[in-house]
Amino acid sequence: MMAARGSGRRGAGPGASRGPDPQEEPPPPLQAVLVADSFNRRFFPVSKDRPRVLLPLANVAMIDYTLEFLTATGVEETFVFCCWKSAEIKEHLHKSKWCRRTSPNTVRIVTSDLYRSLGDVLRDVDAKSLVRSDFLLVSGDVVSNINVSVALEEHRMRRKLEKNVSVMTMIFKESSPGHRARCQEDDVILAMDSTTNRILHYQRTQGLKHFSFPMSLFQSNIETVEVRHDLLDCHISICSPQVAELFTDNFDYQTRDDFVRGLLVNEEVLGNQIHMHVTAEEYGACVSNLLMYEAVCSDIIRRWVYPITPEMNFTDDETKSCTHAKHNIYRGAEVSLGHGSVLDENVLVGQGTVIGSKCSIANSVIGQHCKIGDEVTLDGAFLWNGVHVADHVEIRQSIVCDEAEVKEWVKLSPHCVLTSQVVVGPNITLPEGTVISLHPPDEEEDDEDEFSDDSGVNKEENKVKLKGYNKAQVGSEGRGYLWKADDENEVDEEEQRQSLWGPLLKPEEESETESDLSLGSEQPDSRAASPQLDDIKVFQNEVLGTLQRGEEENISCDNLVLEINSLKYAYNIGLKEVMQVLSKVVLEFPLQQLNAELDPQRYCGMLIPLLKNWTPVFKNYIKRASDHLDALSAIEEFFLEHDGLRTSIAKVLMTFYQREILAEETILCWFSQRNASDKGRQLRKNQQLQKFIQWLEEAEEESSEGDQE
Amino acid sequence: VIPNRLVASLLSDSVSSAVLLLCEPFPCIAQTGLSPLSLGRVFFWSSNLEPGLPMCWLQLSRFTLRRETQKQPLPQAFTRLIVYWCSLCSRYRLHGRSEESDQQESLHKLLTSGGLSEDFNTPYFPLRANLIDAISELLIELEGTTDNIAMQALEHIHSNEVIMTIGYSRTVEAFLKEAARKRKFHVIVAECAPFCQGHEMAVRLAKEKIETSVMSDAAIFAVMSRVNKVIIGTKTILANGALIAVSGTHTLALAAKHHSTPLIVCAPMFKLSPQFPNEEDSFHKFVSPQQVLPFTEGEILSKVSVHCPVFDYVPPELITLFISNIGGNAPSYIYRLMSELYHPDDHELKALLV
Repeated sequence: MMAARGSGRRGAGPGASRGPDPQEEPPPPLQAVLVADSFNRRFFPVSKDRPRVLLPLANVAMIDYTLEFLTATGVEETFVFCCWKSAEIKEHLHKSKWCRRTSPNTVRIVTSDLYRSLGDVLRDVDAKSLVRSDFLLVSGDVVSNINVSVALEEHRMRRKLEKNVSVMTMIFKESSPGHRARCQEDDVILAMDSTTNRILHYQRTQGLKHFSFPMSLFQSNIETVEVRHDLLDCHISICSPQVAELFTDNFDYQTRDDFVRGLLVNEEVLGNQIHMHVTAEEYGACVSNLLMYEAVCSDIIRRWVYPITPEMNFTDDETKSCTHAKHNIYRGAEVSLGHGSVLDENVLVGQGTVIGSKCSIANSVIGQHCKIGDEVTLDGAFLWNGVHVADHVEIRQSIVCDEAEVKEWVKLSPHCVLTSQVVVGPNITLPEGTVISLHPPDEEEDDEDEFSDDSGVNKEENKVKLKGYNKAQVGSEGRGYLWKADDENEVDEEEQRQSLWGPLLKPEEESETESDLSLGSEQPDSRAASPQLDDIKVFQNEVLGTLQRGEEENISCDNLVLEINSLKYAYNIGLKEVMQVLSKVVLEFPLQQLNAELDPQRYCGMLIPLLKNWTPVFKNYIKRASDHLDALSAIEEFFLEHDGLRTSIAKVLMTFYQREILAEETILCWFSQRNASDKGRQLRKNQQLQKFIQWLEEAEEESSEGDQE
Repeated sequence: VIPNRLVASLLSDSVSSAVLLLCEPFPCIAQTGLSPLSLGRVFFWSSNLEPGLPMCWLQLSRFTLRRETQKQPLPQAFTRLIVYWCSLCSRYRLHGRSEESDQQESLHKLLTSGGLSEDFNTPYFPLRANLIDAISELLIELEGTTDNIAMQALEHIHSNEVIMTIGYSRTVEAFLKEAARKRKFHVIVAECAPFCQGHEMAVRLAKEKIETSVMSDAAIFAVMSRVNKVIIGTKTILANGALIAVSGTHTLALAAKHHSTPLIVCAPMFKLSPQFPNEEDSFHKFVSPQQVLPFTEGEILSKVSVHCPVFDYVPPELITLFISNIGGNAPSYIYRLMSELYHPDDHELKALLV
């Protein structure tokens, strides 16, 4: 059903509307769809006060990096889709240089509270028909200096050569495993055809140590299959307008992953392909969690994203201008540095910040108008605007949001987060991974569906409602609630914290994983050996059930086909596997009644009527020559497994032939296959089979002679 | 290649937006790789097309310049052209107004004139024609620079000499090729890692049948004793005669000084900047460390800090001679050339632009 809809759309789709001769027209202005919402709560509670795309990355909002990337790469019109706190995003954009008259990139803002996923956004793109031709799809947290024109050219080329087959080109960056900018949850492993750059298989690793690839990958006639695990997904994709249509057609697609998986699985049905482009030199990353925040921020400071560096001040905001000096020290205007303080390396200090004496600061970003006391140690600290840090404070690898205050003698262990206006201390050491927010953790549930406008009111209410702050957790003068695991919803909160920072990359663990990967094939006991196989097993059982019911209740073959099709989608099974499973199930069907005694005579007697009944089902799946061969190999396998029934193979094949399910050429072809195993050869020596084949050959000769006459 | 959009807006009659457009999206300009020549053309077109006086442009370019230079994002050649353009405007305007000869005003007048910002709003009609003349002159000059410099090659390169150069410079390439038509000599090219522009230089020279060898930057000092002359290009000449040149040049210049080998810099006049060096740190211009240690290295990157400076500051005392399109000059004479090129009011116009 889906196939029909898909192809119907394709025919009347963008190809037709683009005009009679696309070759002579210059390519239309490049458009982009920027999704300024992540549709997850990875950054909670940080993103409670400020939408994620406005979080400062080296003192500049994330969305500005994304827009700068789009503009630099030649995008002339960008649609920004906002949902959570859309008013703030809108205000930010209106003030920025993107909305000035001279901006080469026209930014249009689309807001709706109804978006719940990327899928919703793209369905809206399709409904409003915003895009005219190929467009870039990015999320609002992409930082990149990639010039997509090469990839775009390739993409357009592919679409011209094979009309509307390739619908999307995903952009990846080469980076070996263990790189700090690779976070595990975004890690992908994929198989590609290295001559055409087509993606054949796409899988998130999700911390798995063993991966399985469908055999069909390597059995197909693609000669150069490459399996890669050295790629970083930049979350930048070049999409054709069809992508939006496909999202409309398949309302269950929520994320881009759903889409990619759906397309790859249904590739044979819909005929759509996904390609990829790998860049080695340029930078691209997506800030999907705080670990990535840290990594991307330090990459910006270390100039990996050149020419998008802090001193370029690409946002054109006076207050953000700064100078760059040796060892990557960036200093804004009116920064004062006390006596004996050292900015070690990779430090960005925003405008108007005052730093006391004898401080030691390294690998840190300090926002505007911060006040930092004496003898403070900052290493890997990210202080946003207006943060007050008192004397003798030590902060390591932590984030301190707007206007938070850290009192004397406080020590922040790695991976702490203080959200905006929190006060901590004095004299307290926060353990690793502490998250403190002014929003009480239990407020979260009520807040779920609320948006920027009323969240302020809500905050006030809560302040009144709550009993007070736990002084043991935040210090005697502290203000804020601990967002961590002490109360009943322990598991939830633990998850929250983990996902906030993302799973940590531990080098030792990583290398272990790698060795495991290489040993993978020798260890048969893998715990999640292959989800795919399990799926097939479940699918097989389901098919068996369906056929049984069909037999008992005399359901028509059309309905059986429908049912099997829906099962196929439910378990993500390829056509080939469907056929193998189907043949196997049908052949095994009579065994249940035979009670495991293998009598060829009785077996045939029971099987042949069944085959006659289900001929239309087979015919529905066995169409191309390769399908015939697949079916034959499935039959062969079955008879190899059940030695006692071997003699009946000729009869079974005969039935298949007579019912016109299998063609004689393919049977002959299968019979003469060279690569058969020893057992297979034995099977072929079966007398009756030989006779059958002989008969077939003669029949063919006769018919061909008949043709000649 | 000038982006279509840019040309389109230049063809429209609003030049001011064109300038803003030129200046606003920095990476856009950086990636288009506009050469000084095509920029000259851009300016020429726009002045031709502007129906009124480009006075608004003058103010605008000064304004943009002031804003832009604080963060030095524009390619230097481009900023220099803007400054030069401003110089032209103010010079012609002042001259026209005071009806003086085209000689520079007396120091006294300069002192007492009290700036010129106040009268920019009143139209001054002959300015346009003057400017167009000046610009076409500039265009001709820009187009001929490389040839003019190359023409002087035979005066400096003699038979059987060993000449060293570093990286790739179009001017030096033309210079050496011109000399090779009459004389035989040997060129040693320092490769200029990590970008290795030297390799391209060597290939181009070898194609012209010049005897060429490539060596690593580390070997510069070792080889210097054999070298008769060092000939290099530069990105910028500062007002004190110092260079901002590709990194590695300072090493080369010091080695040449040590061995008393003459160091010749081939640079057209438009490379002259009115700026004096204040903070040597700021000249290095660090780019992405990708070339030094590729991003694909993985884990190690979080443990080391990698830098990739592109330019060196070379102090004037290490330089023997500048060869420009108007002849050879010593570094000590640069200040004079500069005052010819730029209007005195513009010296202070962006101390920061290099």
